Amino acid sequence: MRVSTNWMFQQSVNTMLSQQAALAATQNQVSSGLRINVASDDPAGAGMVVNLKHILAANTQYSANINDANTRLSTEQSSLTSVTNVLNSVRSMAVQGINGTLAPSDRSDMATQLVQMRDQLVQLANTTDSNGDALFAGSSTTRVPFVKNADGTVSYGGNDTARMTAIGSGLQIYSGDAGSSVFMNVPAGNGSFVAGVGAGNTGTLVVGANSVSDTSAWASGEAASGGGYTITFAADGSWTADDASGNPVLDGVGAPVGGTYQGGGDISFNGMTITLSGTPAAGDTVSVQAGGTQDIFSTLNNMIALLQGNGSDTQLTNGFSRQMEALDQGLASVSKAEVAIGGRMNTLSQQQSTYSDLNVTYQSALADVQGADAYTAISNLSLQATALQASQQTFAQVKQLSLFNYIR
Amino acid sequence: MANLLNIGISGLAAAQVGLNTVGTNISNSNTDGYSLQVVQQAARLGTGVGHLTIGGGVDVTAVQRAYSQFLTSAVWSSNAGMQRATTFNSLTGTLNSTLSSSGNLQGALDDFYGAFSTVAGAPGSNPDRQALLGSAGSLTAVFNTLGQQLGVQQRQVNSQISGTVASINSIVGNIADLNQRIYQSRSAVGGVPNTLLDQRDGLVKTLSGYLGVTAVTESDGTMSVYTSTGQGLVSGSNAYPIASANNLYDTGRTDVFDVSGNDITGRLSGGSLGALLDYRSSVLDPIQNQLGQAALALAGSVNSQQAKGLDLNGQQGAPIFSVPTPVVLGATTNQGSATVAATIADVSQLTASDYVLGYDGSAWSLKTTAGQSVPLTTNTDGSLSAAGLTFTVTGTAQAGDSYQIQPTRYAAADIAVGMTDPAGVAAAAALTGKATGTNTGTGSIAAVSVTDAGNANLLGAATITFTAPGSYEITDSSGTVTGSYTAGQPISANGWSVTLAGAPATGDSFTVAANTNGLNDNSNALTAASLADTGVLAGGSISVVTAYANLTTQVGTAGNQAATTLTTQTALYNQATSSQQSLSGVNLDEEAAKLVNYQQSYQASAQVIAASQTIFASLITAIQAA
Repeated sequence: MRVSTNWMFQQSVNTMLSQQAALAATQNQVSSGLRINVASDDPAGAGMVVNLKHILAANTQYSANINDANTRLSTEQSSLTSVTNVLNSVRSMAVQGINGTLAPSDRSDMATQLVQMRDQLVQLANTTDSNGDALFAGSSTTRVPFVKNADGTVSYGGNDTARMTAIGSGLQIYSGDAGSSVFMNVPAGNGSFVAGVGAGNTGTLVVGANSVSDTSAWASGEAASGGGYTITFAADGSWTADDASGNPVLDGVGAPVGGTYQGGGDISFNGMTITLSGTPAAGDTVSVQAGGTQDIFSTLNNMIALLQGNGSDTQLTNGFSRQMEALDQGLASVSKAEVAIGGRMNTLSQQQSTYSDLNVTYQSALADVQGADAYTAISNLSLQATALQASQQTFAQVKQLSLFNYIR
Repeated sequence: MANLLNIGISGLAAAQVGLNTVGTNISNSNTDGYSLQVVQQAARLGTGVGHLTIGGGVDVTAVQRAYSQFLTSAVWSSNAGMQRATTFNSLTGTLNSTLSSSGNLQGALDDFYGAFSTVAGAPGSNPDRQALLGSAGSLTAVFNTLGQQLGVQQRQVNSQISGTVASINSIVGNIADLNQRIYQSRSAVGGVPNTLLDQRDGLVKTLSGYLGVTAVTESDGTMSVYTSTGQGLVSGSNAYPIASANNLYDTGRTDVFDVSGNDITGRLSGGSLGALLDYRSSVLDPIQNQLGQAALALAGSVNSQQAKGLDLNGQQGAPIFSVPTPVVLGATTNQGSATVAATIADVSQLTASDYVLGYDGSAWSLKTTAGQSVPLTTNTDGSLSAAGLTFTVTGTAQAGDSYQIQPTRYAAADIAVGMTDPAGVAAAAALTGKATGTNTGTGSIAAVSVTDAGNANLLGAATITFTAPGSYEITDSSGTVTGSYTAGQPISANGWSVTLAGAPATGDSFTVAANTNGLNDNSNALTAASLADTGVLAGGSISVVTAYANLTTQVGTAGNQAATTLTTQTALYNQATSSQQSLSGVNLDEEAAKLVNYQQSYQASAQVIAASQTIFASLITAIQAA
């Protein structure tokens, strides 16, 4: 085939130009360390890079959220530990109070201590996080959710919404507890009912420990009458029980419940067991009230009022017995919150380690997609450089070949 | 004797023609478009002497171009293909660099969504809220830069179209001129004007680089040139120039029209003009629209989430982003007085298409600019809806009037942050629900959600009271409505929806009211942060980040395909040129051989003349001696 001299030169030049372009591209890969410098280098890979970087960014954000939540929960946990310590001190005072034989000066000292402890609890309940937000205000903007009123009662200005933190796509965890659930909505009495002596009692009857001994019987009794009962004693210690509507409480066979109380015995009906001590006078009553809540501050305030109230030893013992129950409910509420926090922090640390693992996985996936393989790139570079050199040498040789060189 | 002298002279002349031709070939060996010239010579008829015929020397019959119409046409068509691929590749190359150098949209999006997460961590923190608005600003800056770069490329393409059309017209005129001169030369001299033919072939080749053409040589030697769809450009000495002018709707867009004013933009292909038009409609427009669509999706989803929450001032959240309304362009030929306004009704139904809304005298119809029909629904207020858009027509349209709608085109370039007050970020839920303390049933509020943020009574307090376990009444400032309750089913009113857990008893009540005592709430900010992975586009299946990933892949694919096509087309062009050059190109070794050959012929012919002279001298000497 004939070859045009001009075209032959042009072809050699074209070959060298394309080899140079390939060489420059490889050089760019080696110097940037990236296989994908513009999207057209690998369209599908470029799309994948966007998605992988998005996942990595999301994981980084979730890790930061987890750290925030951890800080908040740790702060909350340490305040709750302090609250438990204060409540335990209060409890040991309540034990003294139940003994009932306290001199007026002892009563007044105890009252003063309890006032201090109540104020300390208010302060702990108003703990703020690093941003100055109250930990136990729910989602309210108030920085002092627990306000002590002039009469010593404490009112809650926050709300019931606990803060959530996103720690994964579609995965949210409570990073706080509303103050209402920890301090305010504490079930009254033993958690199911409050049993207390009537206000007009003249005997020495004291209501001690009481509990639900048969859950299903209690529930059906509560459903039928609302759980409110009044037990009335006669002079001989025999007792009868009426429900909230004033009708006698009936047993399983339709006979009215009742019996004779002897010192230190229990009274049981409708699934309740109430331990009594002391001696009732004729007409003395014990009332049972179901449900209801009593906040922790009221419990302290009630104890203070008892100590300041000049009541009889029986009244003091009865009163402290009730507040002891309430205190135990309060401690249970705080401890429930602490256990929940422990569980959440556990979840957080597990999730955090998952993200550390995922980060490694996705980083290596990202490197696979967009990073240049240094060995391949460098070997390509030397191969392409050699090829270009060969083309240049060939050109130099071929250009010397001309018939004109021999026609003299 | 005179005969031998003449024979010698004819040989001398033929060798001279040969030498001149070789010289021309050598000197033009690097001339673009030059065709190798070859001397055709024939033995001159001899004279009869008795029963013998004695040869009479040589005649040069022609100096012909080494030429093949077939091979040359192949070069033209492959040149149109290669120039198209070159232009397309350079345009997509620019687009790819623009995308990689105009900021990292994915990073900006993630920063923005992450900022919502940070606000959720401390809803009352002003610095965090300020940082959120800052990242919103960075995000719109990336969108703006990308959108503006694409706008710049649109303008460059438009001006290149005008420039290319001007070049095409100049070449078309020159070809018509050459046709005239070739025709005259042939009829006046009768010879073949090789140089003019080479010039004309060169012009057609240049023209094919601008636009795909077919050329036909007529019997009178003139050449007719047509576009690949048969539009005449040159016929004999007449040129039919094309024109670049504004698009029927969009005055910022350059289209191509034929000599009688018809829009032939869609009918041109090949060459750099074909590449420009094809790139604009198949790559740049869709990419610009998709980027705008992503910007609208971002703004739509974030703004609507804002409206579902309360800001730090207790107000319903205002929009963070502002976006332009869809562009509506009336055709310059419209006769009626109607004006059309378009608004975006549903971002999730929005597509990346542009539309043409036409009136046939009785009804409106909607088509995509690609010609696909889109069903229109008429709303009760007379407005029209389709594809997530609502059109409102005011005034009277005439039959044949039409309007182009570009819903997404400029959204990326014009998206902006409208919020300046960091307290305006709506991190808190708009509503809170609460069971009344005296309730006897186990019912509690499981969730309160906003279904219609535009409801005027949304934030007004309302009480749901159960008149029986299976029926309720809702009381608000405007009165009482009743409804029946099925466990697990939501209760809705005033733009909200409440889900209850447990079983409410007769007489139980629940209140739903503005969450004004919960402004430190973060639930709305958490939902806004989760928009990062929430489907917004295509009916709610594609998130903004995914849309950007798809866009990246699409831009990359366009660039990658263009590069592959360029490689293929260059190989085809090289193949065609190589074949054509193997016939028409000058080989210097061949010319060197021919040079020696003609040189020797010349010397030999001169020797014939010398011989003739010697013979003649011998004769004279013989006569003198005698």
